Amino acid sequence: MTRVACFFVPMFPLAARLRSEPDLLHEAVAIVEGNGNSAHIVAATRRARTKGIHAGLSLPQARTLLPKLIVRSRDAECERTAQEALFDVAETFSPRIEDASEGVVYVDVTGLERHYDSEQELARAAIDAAEKIGLPARIGIAASKLAARVAAELPKSPTIVEPGKESEFLAPLPLTRLSPQLDAAGTLHRWGIASIGDLARLPEAEVASRLGELGRDLHYAARGIDPRPLIPRPLPPDFREGMELEWPLVAIEPFLFIANAALDRLAQRMEMQGFACKRLELTMTLEPDGFSSRAIDLPAPTRDVKTMLTLLRLDIEKTPPGAPVIGFTIVAHPDRPRRAQLSLFGPAALSPEKLATAIARLVSLLGDGRVGMAMSVDGHLPERYAIGDYAPPPPPNTRQKPQKSGGLLAVRVFRPPIPVEVIMNGTDITSINGEGDLSGAVRVSSGPWRIESGWWSDAPAAREYWDVELERGGVYRVYQADPSTEWFVDARYD
Amino acid sequence: MTAVAPHLDWQFQLLDLDRSHPTPTLVPPPPPVEPGETPAFRQLRSILTPDIASKVRSGAELLRHIANHERTEVLPTTIEAFDALLGGGLPRGKLVELASRRASGRFSIVMSTLAAATSIGEAAALIDLGDHFDPQIAEASGVDLRRLLWARPNTMKEAVMSAEMITATGFQLVVVDLGLHPLRGRRAPDAAWVRLARTAEAHGSAMLVSSPYPLTGTASAAVLKGIATHAKWLGKGNAPRLLEGIDSGLTLEKHRHLKAGARASVAFIADFAALSA
Repeated sequence: MTRVACFFVPMFPLAARLRSEPDLLHEAVAIVEGNGNSAHIVAATRRARTKGIHAGLSLPQARTLLPKLIVRSRDAECERTAQEALFDVAETFSPRIEDASEGVVYVDVTGLERHYDSEQELARAAIDAAEKIGLPARIGIAASKLAARVAAELPKSPTIVEPGKESEFLAPLPLTRLSPQLDAAGTLHRWGIASIGDLARLPEAEVASRLGELGRDLHYAARGIDPRPLIPRPLPPDFREGMELEWPLVAIEPFLFIANAALDRLAQRMEMQGFACKRLELTMTLEPDGFSSRAIDLPAPTRDVKTMLTLLRLDIEKTPPGAPVIGFTIVAHPDRPRRAQLSLFGPAALSPEKLATAIARLVSLLGDGRVGMAMSVDGHLPERYAIGDYAPPPPPNTRQKPQKSGGLLAVRVFRPPIPVEVIMNGTDITSINGEGDLSGAVRVSSGPWRIESGWWSDAPAAREYWDVELERGGVYRVYQADPSTEWFVDARYD
Repeated sequence: MTAVAPHLDWQFQLLDLDRSHPTPTLVPPPPPVEPGETPAFRQLRSILTPDIASKVRSGAELLRHIANHERTEVLPTTIEAFDALLGGGLPRGKLVELASRRASGRFSIVMSTLAAATSIGEAAALIDLGDHFDPQIAEASGVDLRRLLWARPNTMKEAVMSAEMITATGFQLVVVDLGLHPLRGRRAPDAAWVRLARTAEAHGSAMLVSSPYPLTGTASAAVLKGIATHAKWLGKGNAPRLLEGIDSGLTLEKHRHLKAGARASVAFIADFAALSA
């Protein structure tokens, strides 16, 4: 038999706002909808409710009751990300979930009795998981979506409806539990029907003949019959967090403070799904209008918030948005974190997670193209090099003896080459004059060695190289670029 | 007050006067203490001859032994003179400094060390403050570039921070090459080197700091000084010359376990054929 769990977050606009601004949790806060005099309260915290603030009051009325009331307008971005976070929690229990509306998610929990001792335990685990992401969810489990939702909306949570006992469960409840905005409520009230059970006891055909299709559906619902199946939603390709700000931000630090919390929430959500972030996209809404977007490709999938925040900071510092920021959305593209099999007898392999985080931090510290795997490049010019992504192969399974290098003399390349003045006698260099140690009489010079490269391209290079040993010590590689006739030292033998 | 008979019966039973009754016990006897061996391991040990069985260790003990062995072992650089001065190679978990202002083969020793580590499959990192690394020469020296992480900091502070970050990731060899005189950026405080040495010790990484003059102070386990001599040239008189290589000397300036003052000479060959290949 199918079992459906309903995740229901009461006062969802308020819960979503408090998730983004947890500091307001113990304050008297109200969420309003509309502007100016038409603004009215849609939800309020317990502290505000004890002072008489309730949904439906206009903002001036609420201010009269409680002058220190903290008011926040409904934030579509906050609510959307909170809803996605609720999906993520639900997906940790079952892949088959349905998006019902704001703060309501249906989850197919059929077969989960193998993982949990009872449905009560499953529901408590779900409440704990939702609390971890800052959403106070109520859970109802039943055989149909309707019964599960009614069960979840009850103040006592979790509520489990035994299979086949949906009609018994619904019978004593008031009719408004079935549908709060019931058009036929007046008619039913005149009939003297107060509870769902009263309606269920009426003949179906008689109700249908008087109330039409609506009456038939209502009668079905009152008997606990819900023919609507659970329609699973496809997995989202990315994770989003964002916020509309109460006031425009002009400095980077306050923005990063808020972005840090958003990244923290993203990292938690990705961890629940077993993902790491491969690419970050940040879209900032600017005042008075316009957007500033940027994308940051991470060197390796990571969930390290500090690293992602540093990369965001560097990118914003490099290209500031150019106007005050009044909202933002961060999109994280997920990827599977790298895994490795560790060897018992060979050299220890690096932890892919730690390596990815370290490389991302190094990139944020040193800049792009300053860290990675060195790659040799085909060509003739000695200064050629390339740098790529560092992804070492797995180490061998057994210890090996190191390979002898043969004592090859290495050179230190100077990037960029250092310009010097050279005095020649025939084909021999007799002295060079440059900065610091690069000055003095030449003891031995050897050359020229001619290199010609890329004569077919737009940037041809023709150089004559010498190896020179100075009297004061040091062997350098010197070249003269053709046709500029300028001299450079591009390496030292060391 | 008189005692109730059944109670007295039980008391006698507790005194074990009548052996026919089983003795009640209030606390069950503790299970025998077993060595931390799994049944499979005990079975394996039981089928071995006693002399071999006594040498067989448990998995946990074996892992501890391997870890301790790795901590005490050295990473040979394959440059015999250098290894001999250090007692076999770069000690793992320690910081060794190689200082020389003149061209004394300092960078060649760095290359050989990187080649030795990467050729046995270990992960190595080069923090190249002077941006002097040449991948072609490294490859010719035997460095497996796939296992080498190349970081190019701009300042001394970035170099030390990068080295600490990389060491903490678990790289088995971390080489910090500080380039030539004058050093880029301000000098790092002594505390930074101490911190770096502690990180290397905590993660069992061999760390080599190659600098134009001694910088690490008390943080290093050993300091070697390079002594430059003249280069060797092929060709005499008016004949064209060809660089053959350089000879250099190494002096052990400081070592925590060996006597300082030992000297050795090293020869490096300019093998242009290897480079062109």
